[in-house]
Amino acid sequence: MQGIAKQDLNKVLETLSGGGAALLVPMEIDGVTRFARWEQGAKTALGAGNTLLPPKEALFPQNEKVFNYEMSNEEAKIVPSAAAAEETIILGIRPCDVRAIQALDNVFLTKDYVDELYKTRRRHTLLIALGCTQPAPTCFCSSVGGDPLQAEGADIMLWDLGETYGLEALSDKGKDLLKKIDKFMSKSRGKKPAAGKFSLEVDSRGIAEKLHNMFEDPIWDRWYQKCLGCGICTFICPTCHCFDMQEKHTGQWDGYRYRCWDSCMFQEYSLMAGGHNPRPTKKERLRNRFLHKLCFFQERYGMLLCTGCGRCVRECPVGMDITKFIKEVSEVSLNE
Amino acid sequence: MSDPSGEMRELAKKLLENGEVDRIIGWEKGNLWYQSPPLFITRAEETDRLVFDDFAINSLVTYLLDERDSGKKTGIFVKGCDSRGLVRILQDKQIARESVYVIGLPCSGKKDPRQALSSGASESSQVPPAAKCEECLYPNPVIYDVIIGEAVEAKAKGDRFAAVKEIEAKTADEKYAYWTSQYSKCLRCLACRNVCPACNCRECAFDISKPRILAKENNLSHNMVYHLTRAFHAAGRCVECGECERVCPMGIPIMQLNKKIIKEINDLFGPYEAGVKLDETPPPLGTYQTSDPEEFM
Amino acid sequence: MNSECCNPLVPLPGKIIKIVDESPDVKTFHIAAAEGKPFTPLPGQLGMLSIPGVGEGMFSITSQGPDHLEMAIKKVGVLTDSLHDAQVGQPIAIRGPYGNGFPVEKFKGKDILFIGGGIGLAPVRSLIVHCLQNRGDFGKISILYGARSPEELVFKEDLFKNWPQAKDTTVYVTVDKGDEQWQGHVGFVPAYVEEINPSPSMVLLCGPPVMIKFTLETLSKLGFSNEQIVTTLEMRMKCGIGKCGRCNIGSKFICLDGPVFTLNELEGLPPEY
Repeated sequence: MQGIAKQDLNKVLETLSGGGAALLVPMEIDGVTRFARWEQGAKTALGAGNTLLPPKEALFPQNEKVFNYEMSNEEAKIVPSAAAAEETIILGIRPCDVRAIQALDNVFLTKDYVDELYKTRRRHTLLIALGCTQPAPTCFCSSVGGDPLQAEGADIMLWDLGETYGLEALSDKGKDLLKKIDKFMSKSRGKKPAAGKFSLEVDSRGIAEKLHNMFEDPIWDRWYQKCLGCGICTFICPTCHCFDMQEKHTGQWDGYRYRCWDSCMFQEYSLMAGGHNPRPTKKERLRNRFLHKLCFFQERYGMLLCTGCGRCVRECPVGMDITKFIKEVSEVSLNE
Repeated sequence: MSDPSGEMRELAKKLLENGEVDRIIGWEKGNLWYQSPPLFITRAEETDRLVFDDFAINSLVTYLLDERDSGKKTGIFVKGCDSRGLVRILQDKQIARESVYVIGLPCSGKKDPRQALSSGASESSQVPPAAKCEECLYPNPVIYDVIIGEAVEAKAKGDRFAAVKEIEAKTADEKYAYWTSQYSKCLRCLACRNVCPACNCRECAFDISKPRILAKENNLSHNMVYHLTRAFHAAGRCVECGECERVCPMGIPIMQLNKKIIKEINDLFGPYEAGVKLDETPPPLGTYQTSDPEEFM
Repeated sequence: MNSECCNPLVPLPGKIIKIVDESPDVKTFHIAAAEGKPFTPLPGQLGMLSIPGVGEGMFSITSQGPDHLEMAIKKVGVLTDSLHDAQVGQPIAIRGPYGNGFPVEKFKGKDILFIGGGIGLAPVRSLIVHCLQNRGDFGKISILYGARSPEELVFKEDLFKNWPQAKDTTVYVTVDKGDEQWQGHVGFVPAYVEEINPSPSMVLLCGPPVMIKFTLETLSKLGFSNEQIVTTLEMRMKCGIGKCGRCNIGSKFICLDGPVFTLNELEGLPPEY
């Protein structure tokens, strides 16, 4: 396997960002681990496990302008916004987050309509994934069809081999990029590492089929009560992609329409103009979120909308644990 | 501290069996060793799930708001800090005193699950006490129908306003840089509001969309509107339970601003502790006295 | 429709070119883009109409002319309040068409009963108009419409003049509560359906949820099968293109896979509407 010495990492990062590309790597900023633009001298948090904020904001920012408008008595002038077409390299993304991007690709790039803003960003983004040798206590990617060491869909795979990072190009774009850092590459003696043991495991096989018939099951009554109805789980989730569209006035007659992350856990999310809300309480909202993750998305796109990154398990202040939910579902007997 | 779980279960069982309450809110053991999340039970046979260990950190009192119109009676477990939140909700007349059966639990401090995880600990003894417990002044419930366990002595370390004084010592530019870097992080998940016992309005201004008071666009300016408005709304009503800061996934020091306001109120109107006495005279900002300072006039 | 060329969330600028008062809280707006008709929808499809600076909303397209679209809109919220205050010439923005539309092929050659309640006649009207324009393709047409009161009846000219005069077409109108002038039928839609005991081969049903619920019970009592009944659903929508998440019923998105569903299709979805 080819590899680069860890002591050369800064030089490699410098080379990668040299061509004017935005190089996003895990960093700790004001106490929050997230993917941020690397600049000379910046300290990476590559070894710190999964970042608190997933890299989805690089492809799907929390706020994004869709168009500018200018109103007059005679006409509405609409000027569409173009997504930034900056070449971007996301380095250190974990396999669970790469799968999350595959889920986002399904949403934004398939089923009749292509989301232009996402497509532009996605086309200019290259993924250098870092395999996980030691899963965190909240990680469960292997329980939902993921592989901690291999990121299908990434352009380059990295593995931490101790003194070096082992490298393998998975796509042509990845091969081209490796040429740029050729001079740092050596034959690494290590081979692809083995994955550490998961402390959180659950059998999710058949979960979508089972949940399809559990819309009115009493399980929801047991689960919704402790939910705070906040948006933590949705905002830190690498696959949650629901958005709202709103307007901002910049003058009396002009402004812009933007889209921004929204959360299905908020009451307003499904509130209709006339006042009717088909999901009036936390129960319906929690049910919709879990079913979207574990049933509806599977039915629509052929994959679960949970990649086992463990962020919600880690951050939910009331200990809402999706793996515990999956386990409980598997224990429900549906005798009709 | 001896484990009160046995007594808790016995009492909860009795309350449910004799129909004194319709449901019990307590804590149970989660999937992971450092989790003791909230538990809701309605059947006596479920009471064996109740625990009160190092990680029973969540305040449960805001859940009472979810059922404020149901007419149900709830048996609820409260620690000292939680009990002040309950007083807050009762004083704000969001629920009736008769709708809750309050079981007090003296508390010598809890631990934060996130800290357990980030510290790399493998058992509770390796986890430091939660930040919010370090400055606890009321380890014993201030309101209860029954209490389980012996009273605990308050052992707050040092000056509860130390962090506030540190910020006060900064220059205006430094303060601005500090707060803007904090508020820039806000995701507007609203967890701090949803968990706050002082945020008990039926309809929050931030949820109103006609007209929209707080834009959904996430930026520093809107985030500051959100945080400053909330701090001012809770002024004189914040019970220092610290839940807002504990639930914040982004580590925003929400309590520092709340404490600053408490310090100002104390300086202006004399020492005042919110949510300590149920039948007290209105709090300083809820009433007017001719002796109030009027420096701005 | 695959919009590879441009951002599907960006609307076309246009104008309101005509406003028709239908009832105290319903107006029909004729919408034209700068270049003429914004797009050519199928019956039952939807359009996202906005007044930039006020907001955007999804509405069913009631009808269309060679150079414009028509949308009958009830005043219920911020955007619709502004629309109701607008004058002819008001600049707007529009995007679409969205949704699947009515299964027109399934209706061809069949006798059809259209049932509309309140503003629910708006989507129904697009298919009625299509059927009347292509009269030879369809069998007998019956139209049953109900509103809360006589003054809340929409499309009065169609109900009392245009449609009754059309070939092989019968119109039944009812109100929940009459007034001094009202000579017509009084009663709820489901009861009226039972009273006229229709025998069409296809039914199209749109209206408020409670009306739909009870009318479906009546239709089932009268022996209609799920495959004969077509209805439309409504949820809050933002993107219109199946991405923003909120209008899902199970794994289907109303904006993309709906709003039109046969009762058979609905049976396979969770009852969350």
